[in-house]
Amino acid sequence: MSAPVTTRPVRERVRERRPSLQVVAEPRPRHTLTYALVIVVLLGAAVFGAVALNALAAAEAVEARSLERQVAEGERTYASLVAEVSALEDPGRIREAALELGLVPSGPARHLELERSLPADGAVVETRLPETTPDPVKPVLSAER
Amino acid sequence: MTGPTKRRRLSRVPRILGRRGDQVAVRRIRWLLGVYGLALLLVVGQLVHIQVVQADEYADASVRQRERMIELPATRGRIYDRDGDVLATSVEGATIYADPRAYRGGETPDGELVPPAGDPAEVAAALAPILERDVDDLVERLERDAHFVYLARQLDHEVGDRIRQLELPGVGVLVEPKRVYPGNGLAAQVVGFTGIDGYGLQGIEAQYDSVLSGEPGTLLLERAPGGLDIASGVRELVHSEVGTDVVVTLDRDIQHAAEVAAAEALERFDAKGATVLALDVSTFEILAMASTPGFDPNERSEGEAEAWRNRAITDMFEPGSTQKAMTIAAALEEGLVTPTTEFTVKDRIRVGSSTFSDAHPHPGSVWTVGQIMERSSNVGTIQVAQELGEERLDAYLRGFGLGSTTGLEFPGEAAGMLMGHEDWWGSSLPTIAIGHGVAVTLMQLANAYATIANDGLAMTPSVVRGTVGSDGRLSPRPTGSGQRVIGEDTARVVQDMLLEAVSGEYGTGALAAVPGYSVAGKTGTARKPDPEGGYSDRYVATFAGFAPAHDPQIVVAVMVDEPYPIWGGIVAAPVFSEVMEAALIARRIPPDGSSPSLSEALVRAQAVLDDLEAAAEEGEEPDEDLGVPVEEPASPPAGDPASQ
Repeated sequence: MSAPVTTRPVRERVRERRPSLQVVAEPRPRHTLTYALVIVVLLGAAVFGAVALNALAAAEAVEARSLERQVAEGERTYASLVAEVSALEDPGRIREAALELGLVPSGPARHLELERSLPADGAVVETRLPETTPDPVKPVLSAER
Repeated sequence: MTGPTKRRRLSRVPRILGRRGDQVAVRRIRWLLGVYGLALLLVVGQLVHIQVVQADEYADASVRQRERMIELPATRGRIYDRDGDVLATSVEGATIYADPRAYRGGETPDGELVPPAGDPAEVAAALAPILERDVDDLVERLERDAHFVYLARQLDHEVGDRIRQLELPGVGVLVEPKRVYPGNGLAAQVVGFTGIDGYGLQGIEAQYDSVLSGEPGTLLLERAPGGLDIASGVRELVHSEVGTDVVVTLDRDIQHAAEVAAAEALERFDAKGATVLALDVSTFEILAMASTPGFDPNERSEGEAEAWRNRAITDMFEPGSTQKAMTIAAALEEGLVTPTTEFTVKDRIRVGSSTFSDAHPHPGSVWTVGQIMERSSNVGTIQVAQELGEERLDAYLRGFGLGSTTGLEFPGEAAGMLMGHEDWWGSSLPTIAIGHGVAVTLMQLANAYATIANDGLAMTPSVVRGTVGSDGRLSPRPTGSGQRVIGEDTARVVQDMLLEAVSGEYGTGALAAVPGYSVAGKTGTARKPDPEGGYSDRYVATFAGFAPAHDPQIVVAVMVDEPYPIWGGIVAAPVFSEVMEAALIARRIPPDGSSPSLSEALVRAQAVLDDLEAAAEEGEEPDEDLGVPVEEPASPPAGDPASQ
């Protein structure tokens, strides 16, 4: 006689195989908008920074160019003034100007020789010529100048 | 067919069909991948070709498209006189150009008509008064078939500003260096000039062109397609190197005095030309080198090219009696004669088939060598030269620098003419001994007299003191050592003889005297050779000398070409006096005691005052020449070339 086959109902077996379920917490919502904003701000800052730096560089370049123009203008003025001073110092021009002012050419140079010592000759008088100030326009042509 | 079999077959169909579809799809995908791969390969290949193989070429093309290299012209160095006064400098000039295409109109690539930017006639009419040019000439330029034409170059900067303000269509202004010579014609033949492009063409400007011109710089810019500079783009500036300044040995004041004296002589004696040269005895530096007629290098197109020549070194002439000092110095140095050696001198002498005579007939006289020099006797000098002989005369004349360039290295310097003694013939010795049959430049003559004044030591003359670099300090030009031609004692004896030639009773150079100074020198009057042979009836009047006679500091040589009257003592000697006086004062050389004493001066001054008072009492106009000694030469100086 065989033992009676005891079978558990199918529903019970299925229930045993089910994992134990539990209620989990709802995941926190992702702040996508925040991230997007941060990225936009960062990108904006980067672009603004680059543009600002570029603008600053451009401004400096314009400033530098303006200074270069001023230097060039200064050099031009200096060169033309040097030429003008030299032209005004020209002996021929001075001679003409003197004649126009009524001056006449000097006669032959006269030099006198003293035949006897004058009273002041005994005294030692050191005559010193005033030191000449170097002319800024002229080059240094000797160690003395 | 049974039912199950039929079902199996039917179920197999889609499987077979699916397998075939997969294969087709796979095949198609493979083809597509292949095509994509090929395309990718082409792209990668092209990428490699561009980025690796042709990288440099494309990079260069990019640079060419974007970058622009501008050459910055170097500022040319200045030329200073010995005291640092400017003789030549550069300023910014304005160059006016035009683009004639602007007046023709045209079409854009899209076919749109572009009207002319302006009317050439109107533009020319606006420019003509500013540029001082003919309107028709400007119109012709504006209508040329060209992209670029110059309208005027190197004008004043202000002219450029005025034209910019007009905002004329198609007209632009460029900045271009312009060479200016503040002294106008001062030392023009020495300083020279540059061409329109800034290269030296004459004088020091040409001789020292490589030193003066400097090195051009560059400016590298990035430009946008519109032509505007990219402010933040690449900008590499390599500054141009300013040319080195050159300091010449000329003294501006002495140079001016020499030019004025030469110009006055030219006018007064109706001469063809006049040349004056002043040398510093201790250094052989040229203090003045004047030639008239002159020219203004700022306006050189208005003068004649003939006037550009520096006659002191390019023009040769027969020195005449001025050479007697060299002949006699050679005989003294050789110990053949002394200053007191006597010769019986007739007024003519026959040598070979030629007869040489003195300027004035005189009975046979016993003259010392010193008197021969003082009277400038041709016959006496020939007698002295005969003692010397051809070979030694030739050697000494060459020692004094005749027949070769002086070493000045100035463009166009002539060597003069002196045949080797091997080629001399019967009358060569007497002819050459008195300064004929030989040709010198004024530079050579001054050099020979400077050798005598420098106690017999010859040096190489110089016209450049040195250069001034960026530190503003002078770098002196190296100077060579001297070469002894005659001994010190001989030189001093000749100096004394030359003093008598000016101040002696029979001296021919009385008008060369300078008040307050002792002057030594010699006159010369020589016929000019005729191009067709023999001598012409035109003369060259010369004087060469130095002062103070006992301590020579300055040598001045004068040559007047084709004057009337012809005599060196009347024409050239006064020029010498004027220039020497100016030079002695400019160089601050004290008088050497030949001036009047105080009491003599007071007596003279009192006499002048008395005469003035007397004239005033009689209501006469005072004589302008009162008090100024006037010496008429007792007789025309000797030196007339020998009659042959």
